[in-house]
Amino acid sequence: VNQMGRSIARLEARSKVTGRADYVHNMRVPGMLHAKIFRSTVAHGRILSIDTSAAAGMDGVFAVITGEDIRKIIPQPYFGPAFHDQPILALEKVHFIGEPVAVVLSADPHLAEQAVQTIAAEYEELEPVFDEVEAKTSEAIVHEELKPAGTFADLKHLAGRKHTNVTLDYQLRRGDVEAGFAAADHVYEHTFRTGQVLHVPLESHASLAVPEGESLIIHTASQTPSFVRTEIARLLGWPENRVSVRVPFLGGGFGAKVYVKMEALAAALALIARRPVKVALTMEEQFYTISKHAVTFRIKSGVTSDGRVIARACDVWWNGGAYADIGPRVAQKTGFTAAGPYDIEHVRIDSTEVYTNRPPAGALRGFGVPQLVWAYESHTDMIARELGLDPVEFRRRNILRDGRPHATGTIMKDAAIDQVLDRLAERMNWNAPFDRGTGTVKRGRGVAIGLKASISPTTSGAIVNVSADGSIVLYTNTIDMGQGSDTAMAQLVAEVLNVAAEAVKVVHGNTDVAPYDMGTLGSRSTFHMGNAVKLAAEDARAKLAALAAEVGLPAGTNYDVKEIFRKRYGMQAGNVIGTGTYVPRYTPPDPKTGQSDNVTPFWMVGGTGAEVEVDSETGHVRVLRLINAADAGRPINPKICRTQLSGGAIMQLGFTLYEDMVFDGGQVTNASFADYKIPGFRDVPPMESDLVTANQETGPFGAKGVGESSTFSVSPAIANAIHDAVGIRLTELPIKPETLLRALRAAQGRPLPEDE
Amino acid sequence: VTPFDWMEPQSLREAVSLLDPEDPAVRPIAGGTALMLMMKTGFFAPSRLVSLAGIERDYATIRLNGDGSFRIGSMVSLAELERSREAAVHFPVIKNAIRTLSNIRVRNVARVGGALAHGDPHMDLPPLLAMLGARVSLIGPDTAREIAVEDLYTGYYQTVIKNNELIAEAILPPLNGARCAYIKVTSRSADDWPALNIGVKLEMADSRTVARTRLVIGAAAERLTRLAATEKLLSDAVPDEATLARAGECAATEARFVSDAHGSAPYKKELLRVYLARAIREALS
Repeated sequence: VNQMGRSIARLEARSKVTGRADYVHNMRVPGMLHAKIFRSTVAHGRILSIDTSAAAGMDGVFAVITGEDIRKIIPQPYFGPAFHDQPILALEKVHFIGEPVAVVLSADPHLAEQAVQTIAAEYEELEPVFDEVEAKTSEAIVHEELKPAGTFADLKHLAGRKHTNVTLDYQLRRGDVEAGFAAADHVYEHTFRTGQVLHVPLESHASLAVPEGESLIIHTASQTPSFVRTEIARLLGWPENRVSVRVPFLGGGFGAKVYVKMEALAAALALIARRPVKVALTMEEQFYTISKHAVTFRIKSGVTSDGRVIARACDVWWNGGAYADIGPRVAQKTGFTAAGPYDIEHVRIDSTEVYTNRPPAGALRGFGVPQLVWAYESHTDMIARELGLDPVEFRRRNILRDGRPHATGTIMKDAAIDQVLDRLAERMNWNAPFDRGTGTVKRGRGVAIGLKASISPTTSGAIVNVSADGSIVLYTNTIDMGQGSDTAMAQLVAEVLNVAAEAVKVVHGNTDVAPYDMGTLGSRSTFHMGNAVKLAAEDARAKLAALAAEVGLPAGTNYDVKEIFRKRYGMQAGNVIGTGTYVPRYTPPDPKTGQSDNVTPFWMVGGTGAEVEVDSETGHVRVLRLINAADAGRPINPKICRTQLSGGAIMQLGFTLYEDMVFDGGQVTNASFADYKIPGFRDVPPMESDLVTANQETGPFGAKGVGESSTFSVSPAIANAIHDAVGIRLTELPIKPETLLRALRAAQGRPLPEDE
Repeated sequence: VTPFDWMEPQSLREAVSLLDPEDPAVRPIAGGTALMLMMKTGFFAPSRLVSLAGIERDYATIRLNGDGSFRIGSMVSLAELERSREAAVHFPVIKNAIRTLSNIRVRNVARVGGALAHGDPHMDLPPLLAMLGARVSLIGPDTAREIAVEDLYTGYYQTVIKNNELIAEAILPPLNGARCAYIKVTSRSADDWPALNIGVKLEMADSRTVARTRLVIGAAAERLTRLAATEKLLSDAVPDEATLARAGECAATEARFVSDAHGSAPYKKELLRVYLARAIREALS
């Protein structure tokens, strides 16, 4: 049976729905202590004192730990993938409300929680800065000096920079943008904003560190076990083989669980206490851990009267919060796509990430792309309407096609941008008359398309073990966090070794057994790990063939694998190990111009079509139809790809209509699921998830990642549809009914009063 | 959550005796859906919880009385009320409303008594039952009294229920052909707390003319509010579009709105103006 393109059920589905699957949150080990965190109540301040005496004196409290205690075993306790700026517990200063300052350890988590309430800290308050545009020039400086980690070559130039909040100032220059504006018939400029939102995986962050002899075992809900091992070993000054990182299934990740989150704290506490220590966050604590960047994006386009965009200038400000996390890479890797999937001669991009005194921002499904598409696809629609052009036709005139250079100079290849747009238009029956609604209910429709580059340079390794009975185990550090990677990887192995995917066992997330992988992030696994797994399976197949030849079996015959081993070892014994490592080609962009002849291993393309109904009396928006189309390469498992598309679209629908972290002086005021609303089942609109099949030449059997593609374009498609319905253009996310009603009423000359 | 005493009385009387008239850290717990949230977030730290799960089975039942009134035991879950055949036949508005008022997991656990006693003005059951003219019986150590649902609430999370009183049951008068509608209006996801909820009950003089109405709103204001002036305006009236517009205007003037995460006061006022007419139209349709 051909294993590619088979929509088999997810291998782990049964264990999940029957409650048998393991999660770190449920793990208990003998002697385990629970850690509960005391957090900062000021947004920016110097720590004057931390009084832990009452907590330490409580019966049942094992210890109370502060940043200074951590420093005794880890002299430089700063971690982070981009910068080494984040202390395991606050040292000297606090940088946001909610920052971990001290920890209570107790065998009883409730007692630990109670003891946390008795800790008191005194701060000398410093001027905070919260806004991403202000932070670039503000007097308030969040960190005195930039400390790039050295992990990423493109951040090294920032080392030693002082007295700035700018963590990255990425720039791209192509052509002469000012000349382009001068030559244009029309120039349009608009500014768009998105608020800060977060991942809210239903399983919060959880890490359990267990000291064992000379080693430390860290069970953790992580998307990046290899990175965790490297970073913890670096912090401790240990060789990597003394740190074992183990990851069961995740209850969702979405980028919240990449790099180091609670692992360093758990590790340090376990070594101090010499006991197993579990750090498991509550839902509320997620709001103080990691989020998605709030963004301000000013975009300016020069257009000819026949509808060709010839120049585009993009100024993007990313609100990185108090620690860099992976934010500088968002500003760069995503920043270079800010001009959109269009063929534009003159492009300037300035993409600036800044520190602020908000909770840190990092990677969230789409890695910043949805914030950019929100702006450039709203902008695109506004221009089309100004010019009196059909929005789909205007996009077609400017679309970036294979063989043409992207703004980075990379020649486009295997990016089905035009096919995705065509598919949307076809599905929506775009050229047919559209029912505009009756009475106070107005209907409209909109489209949007977006483009994302994949992460690079990165490495993935895999091992395929064929046992003497012919059964197969795959060892990989790609983590199945609900996206179905175990199933897809099993299908790849099965395809190469000619067995059923269901018969392949996948062992994931154990740095003691599985090889290095950069991480389960950025929709990279199907492509990168997929290629490594394919290579490993091919290596095993070649070794089996060699073994068969060795025992005298004729080449090319349909012999039983068992027979090879029996002939070779005289019994059911031995095994064959295939290995594979994949590193895609990549050319780092020129730091001054952002130009590169090979800027990404592959492109992701996602488009959305939306039909909406606007209640013009209340501002409520009902999505009548949401069409998600994505370039899926050749899908390995079409069913899983489609559920990835629908899941991503629902998530982005929440960011479009409901979700927003609300701040009061740096304090999140809606840090709970009662007050921060994600979409529920009753909010899911009629939805179609459509895979545009196109070959990704460098992908495993033509496949590419689709985990983020449907998030790109949801927000502008809905905003464009709202404009189509009622003529109101909204430039800020989320789109609240009150905001829309206020805009409608203002346009009618009878504005709603501000407040009573 | 810190340790506390957990009591499991076997009767309503016993439960009442375990409550403390003075100590707010002693609370009864029915489904616990609201109380547990307050405990998890640290807003409420009980010294004792008195579980009502073991009290007389009769309090977990629903029945239609001979006089057409409808009696709901306080320990009936919202899901049981939603699925009740008697309710579906005699008070169809209940079933439709309950489906919108929380998710299925909450409805399976939350109890009618708890939802009425909690006093959060965003909850849907109080305005729904108040619109239907429900009364509750309150049992204390030596007292038993009856009070209309609309009179239970004195402010934000404040009720007239004493610390050592329990709601035993709710009684709804027969509808006698009155037309009802209940609408929950959210400004974010569908299962969010409402920005406004509104219940209307119309007793008809004939097929076109309304004789008497009951109009109750929640969420938009600090506490459950009956719109008395608007009720009067709609009495003995034909609710044509002009009348509905006047009624909307009257309601918007009469209610006192509070701004919160679900909308500003002016927005909620606008919602009421619009949804009052919609609810009446729905009741009449």
